[in-house]
Amino acid sequence: MALLDIEQLSVSFDTDEGTFPAVSDLSLTLEEGEVLGIVGESGSGKSVTMLAMMGLLPFNARVKASRFHFAGQDMQTLSDRARRRLTGNDIAMIFQEPSTSLNPSFTIGFQLLEAIKAHEGGGRRQRRERAIELLDQVGIPAPAKRLSDYPHQLSGGMNQRVMIAMAIACNPRLLIADEPTTALDVTIQAQILDLLLRLQEERGMGMILITHDMGVVAGAAKRVAVMYAGQLMETGTSHDVFREPAHPYTGALLNALPERHPGTTRLPTIPGVVPGINDRPQGCLFHPRCAHAQKDCRASRPALEAIHAETGLGTRHVRCYHPLNEEVLEIAP
Amino acid sequence: MLLAGTDYTFAVAETPMLSFVFRKLLMLIPTLLGITLVTFTLVHLIPGDPVAIMAGERGISAERHAEVMAELGLDRPMWEQYLSFLGNLAHGDLGHSLISSNPVLDEFMSLFPATLELGFCAMLLAVCLGIPLGVIAGIKRGSIIDHTVMGTSLTGYSMPIFWWGLLLIIFFSGILGWTPVSGRLSSSYWIDTPTGFMLIDTLLSGEPGAFVDALQHLILPTVVLATIPLAVIARMTRSSILEVLGEDYIRTARAKGLSPWRIIAIHALRNAMIPVTTVIGLQIGLLFSGAILTETIFSWPGIGKWLIDAVGRRDYPSLQGGILLIALIVMMVNLIVDLLYGLINPRIRNSR
Repeated sequence: MALLDIEQLSVSFDTDEGTFPAVSDLSLTLEEGEVLGIVGESGSGKSVTMLAMMGLLPFNARVKASRFHFAGQDMQTLSDRARRRLTGNDIAMIFQEPSTSLNPSFTIGFQLLEAIKAHEGGGRRQRRERAIELLDQVGIPAPAKRLSDYPHQLSGGMNQRVMIAMAIACNPRLLIADEPTTALDVTIQAQILDLLLRLQEERGMGMILITHDMGVVAGAAKRVAVMYAGQLMETGTSHDVFREPAHPYTGALLNALPERHPGTTRLPTIPGVVPGINDRPQGCLFHPRCAHAQKDCRASRPALEAIHAETGLGTRHVRCYHPLNEEVLEIAP
Repeated sequence: MLLAGTDYTFAVAETPMLSFVFRKLLMLIPTLLGITLVTFTLVHLIPGDPVAIMAGERGISAERHAEVMAELGLDRPMWEQYLSFLGNLAHGDLGHSLISSNPVLDEFMSLFPATLELGFCAMLLAVCLGIPLGVIAGIKRGSIIDHTVMGTSLTGYSMPIFWWGLLLIIFFSGILGWTPVSGRLSSSYWIDTPTGFMLIDTLLSGEPGAFVDALQHLILPTVVLATIPLAVIARMTRSSILEVLGEDYIRTARAKGLSPWRIIAIHALRNAMIPVTTVIGLQIGLLFSGAILTETIFSWPGIGKWLIDAVGRRDYPSLQGGILLIALIVMMVNLIVDLLYGLINPRIRNSR
């Protein structure tokens, strides 16, 4: 049984200008101990999907799904209280901005102990020892002393380590990392990512890594999902997807990597922006920005269809009428 | 002699809190000096003079008037009067009331507990009611509760104090007869006032009836004086809570699976209180101006009523001394609020 099983998830926001579909028709599965990368531009619905999973969406959000299971439990029928027992315990999340994600008015120790206390209990001394052990595990020097520090006394990288310690405090089965390195110095980014992957492996946690850094995903995740304007555009093993991108959007994202253009002064970009509430196009959501768009792309919206997978690791799907390398990637029967 | 290479700043640097207080206290001196100048000028700009007012409607002869003015030292040039006021002030002498000829400081000290008692009760009411109301309105944004709290507080804030006070007197004292109209204690009770705080003195007197009576006298003036601070605190708390609830660390707290109650009472409120503390500090300063009106309406024998009487009688020394003392108190309150920030906001504590 998959740890996470989502089918046809849609999240929409009621705004003054009407209903905005932030995520539509999204299906995902994640096995125990698996790492899934989700990539896409800002505004493509990556974070919203994860917040829906945590039950952290604002009140004007509406979540619908034909199947939304975590570890065999139907998340849609859970009471608020049962849901809270799950979040922070079995599912934990790390956010983009470590310095604002920690409460400035409380010490690191208070916030960490609170996470332990909320789900695990145990004596005061036990919890304290556990907190020190956790800080040690995430590579914070002199952990016992840091407990009485406030977030503003630590660097961004250290704060993110604290966030990670808080997230793994209750041994979650699924860790969601929402752009965990974006706000950090480049030198720290690799350290934090290594730490996350090490912890994931040691503990056998499932992990969803959201990022817009394709390089990070390629190195960290076996499977990748590419999102655009709230839809999955392509899924498959990172090996397949990055070597032979099928969706023009994936291709364009990869083409924008600086590593692929050594010596040039100007990188290729994808013209235009992700559609907002008022400019969602007819047909394929990506067609106005797509270099390969044809007549049928403007007429109707393609479905996510299985295509031939090069390696045996899971199936490959793409949402496009005219995938790249059509001659290589035969549409599966 | 200063030695090169010796660090003379270490004493101050090692106790940042003390140096902060010391700097703030030093700042009081020029501020107070400015206040003396402004009050002296304003007080003397009031038309009429104390002698003419003392003489009453029938008046006195011009010779006698000039004689008394000279006796009181009011015939001297303005600058000379100001300098002698400052000179006495430097010796801790605020002068004597022109009317009662008691020392201004003594009069102030004997009346101040009444104002302090009223002000304390009003602030207590405003804080204890304003913060919870603001929090509820913030959490239930857009609900009936929110609109009711915000509408009522806007009304309360906009209402002239004297009119609001009179309405309450008419309704609760006049029509319902629940509360006394004025004063601090009914004349049927006669108790010693060692502390000057009527609630404490009546308790000490051992007469339960006196305590209840004092409490009844206190209710309406407290409500009237608390109205504006209550409205301001409730509105500030609401907007502050709303802002804080949108912060990333609230999302983190929710991601831990904490109960909504704990998220609001611990994580949101602590941060939301930072701007509210500022507002409370400012409201304490404004409380004195509210007290002047409130005490006048309810004949509350405190500083406010005393100052109004002093204006009426052109009692220059009482006015100058009274305003100076009030200014000093307000500045001390602000200093205490500044220090309290450090307790609430660790980011300030460490940067100071």
